[in-house]
Amino acid sequence: MNLEESRDLFWIASILYGTGLACGFAFVWKSSKKASALASLLLIIAGFVAHTKGLALRGELVKGCPLGNGMESIQFILWSLVLGYLIIRLLFRLNLLGSFSAGLACLGGVTSLAFPSLDTPYWEKEGYDGIFSNHWVELHASVAIFSYGIFGLLAIVSSMYLLQRKSLQTKRAGAVARLLPSIQQLETAGSRLLLIGSVFLTCSIVVGALDWSRAPDALSATKVGLTIGLWLAYCILWLLHFSKRLFGQKFAKVCIVLFFIAICSLGFVRSSPATVAESSLTPTNDAS
Amino acid sequence: MPAKDPNLFMLGSSHKFASLVEREMISLPAEKIESFYEGLTSISSMRECLLLNTCNRTEIYGVGNGACPLDEVRKYLSDFRNLDSGFMDRHFYQHKGEAVVRHLFEVTSGIDSQMVGETEILGQVKKAYEDARTRKLSGKILNRLFQKGFQTAKWTRTNTGISRGQVNLGNVLSDLAKRIFGKVENCRLLIVGAGDVAESTMQSFKSRGCLEVTVTGRTFDWCPLSRRKPDELAEKFGGFAMAYESFQDSLHLFDVILTSTSSGKIMITLDDIKRAVKKSPGKPLFLIDASVPRNIEDEVSRIDSVFLYNMDDVSAIANENLRMRMTEVERCRGALAGRAARLWEQMIRQLSLPS
Repeated sequence: MNLEESRDLFWIASILYGTGLACGFAFVWKSSKKASALASLLLIIAGFVAHTKGLALRGELVKGCPLGNGMESIQFILWSLVLGYLIIRLLFRLNLLGSFSAGLACLGGVTSLAFPSLDTPYWEKEGYDGIFSNHWVELHASVAIFSYGIFGLLAIVSSMYLLQRKSLQTKRAGAVARLLPSIQQLETAGSRLLLIGSVFLTCSIVVGALDWSRAPDALSATKVGLTIGLWLAYCILWLLHFSKRLFGQKFAKVCIVLFFIAICSLGFVRSSPATVAESSLTPTNDAS
Repeated sequence: MPAKDPNLFMLGSSHKFASLVEREMISLPAEKIESFYEGLTSISSMRECLLLNTCNRTEIYGVGNGACPLDEVRKYLSDFRNLDSGFMDRHFYQHKGEAVVRHLFEVTSGIDSQMVGETEILGQVKKAYEDARTRKLSGKILNRLFQKGFQTAKWTRTNTGISRGQVNLGNVLSDLAKRIFGKVENCRLLIVGAGDVAESTMQSFKSRGCLEVTVTGRTFDWCPLSRRKPDELAEKFGGFAMAYESFQDSLHLFDVILTSTSSGKIMITLDDIKRAVKKSPGKPLFLIDASVPRNIEDEVSRIDSVFLYNMDDVSAIANENLRMRMTEVERCRGALAGRAARLWEQMIRQLSLPS
């Protein structure tokens, strides 16, 4: 293990998240609740530190926010997800949210690292001069990916809601369901996360649109269509939810589905169009 | 230096050895406790004593002065409550030395309780201890024993699953309400009817700080045959009484609705709930049908944010929780025996030291 190597640090972070998950769930069956919860939190924080250092090292290597290939995008989303969890933890406590977040961060991290093809060394190409052509594009991409992290957290909260609901409907209180937050707490957390994620995504779209207006040919119609489509979908979801027309089980399911669509859409919008190189204002490898 | 025996003993009877009728014969009425203690302290070889007197157990803990006064205490109790020796043999148990420590630990931890893992007993033991201390009847040995007993009870509840899950009907319901609303303090409770389940639920919700309790029923003042009128129940728990005719239109104002009537009719229909959900969309609704035949249409559980439980469901949860607690009893007993042995060793060692 080399602590100056970003991939090694990502591995360490994934292992720490995984251990945090195990520790978090240990108290479901064991009795030392406080010790397990504290150990889980410390492991997640340690994982987050390793994750941050890994991204910083990769950022130095690629001369910008590391969002140039699939592995980097996934790592950045997972980092945003864990950051989102740590911030939320300061605002309100949700039992087991840390464990669920650590679980997804571990699973996603290991998956992205297990396939070397996801981590193509694009920075080694001849004439490579930074991942983004300007800071606005970099800001647009990083904020968009950060919002995906928040939507990831929303998907986790929605899954927890569905688990709790299922347990209440089937009238079986398993050890996990007993410790999950209440239906109302999960609904509130879901609403807040949707609002925060939508605000970040909107900011990213605004920044991206300003840059796009200066060089409209630089982006493919697919990327624009998908990005706007996803943004619209989240805005409509927000409107329906806040006007109390979509809530409960359906709302939770839509949140999960939209997050998966967002993740899948990354594959379509990552590759740069042929015209990119011709424009000085567009990213050479825009991840959003 | 030879080890000194603290002459610790206990004599008692509990639900395990005596039925309710027999326990009524053994239990000491509050007004007789004073005179009981007076007689108990007049036993010459008695140095310290403490009486634990609850609805399920009557136990006397004591420390002898030079000799163990167990036989005298046994005779005194038998005379005081007019119990013959055969009755005493059948319904009483007694322990000496380390076994007393072990027994007390099991009592305070709730594993010797009728409802395994219940926490009420700890409060009762604390009260009995405070009473003996105020009377200056507990000394160095009983003080140490009971304080360790309280610590052990806390340890058991934190480190074992003996108190996990609720087993009382009202508590199971408030636990479910917590899983839906987060806090019982946030809940507005509506009770339709005034049966035993209604009262137990109100008690449980009220003790957890329920926001508001409202009671409605078909039998208000006009029905002289009704033993428990809804308005009486509302008054008892500081709640509101609502006219029965208007309750179906006010369902949206409540979070938890419990029906406990013997009407045998459907009182809350799918349409009633649909209307309530429409009036306050997104708000979860917890319905409990404690009536047989049922008062709430089963179809309401199809609505997204509605959680309907009947008595079978609640009993199944209580039984499951009880089963889980029972599996912890043996593990718990082993751990408590270890702690009791250590404490007993310390007590003997301390007594053996020159003062």
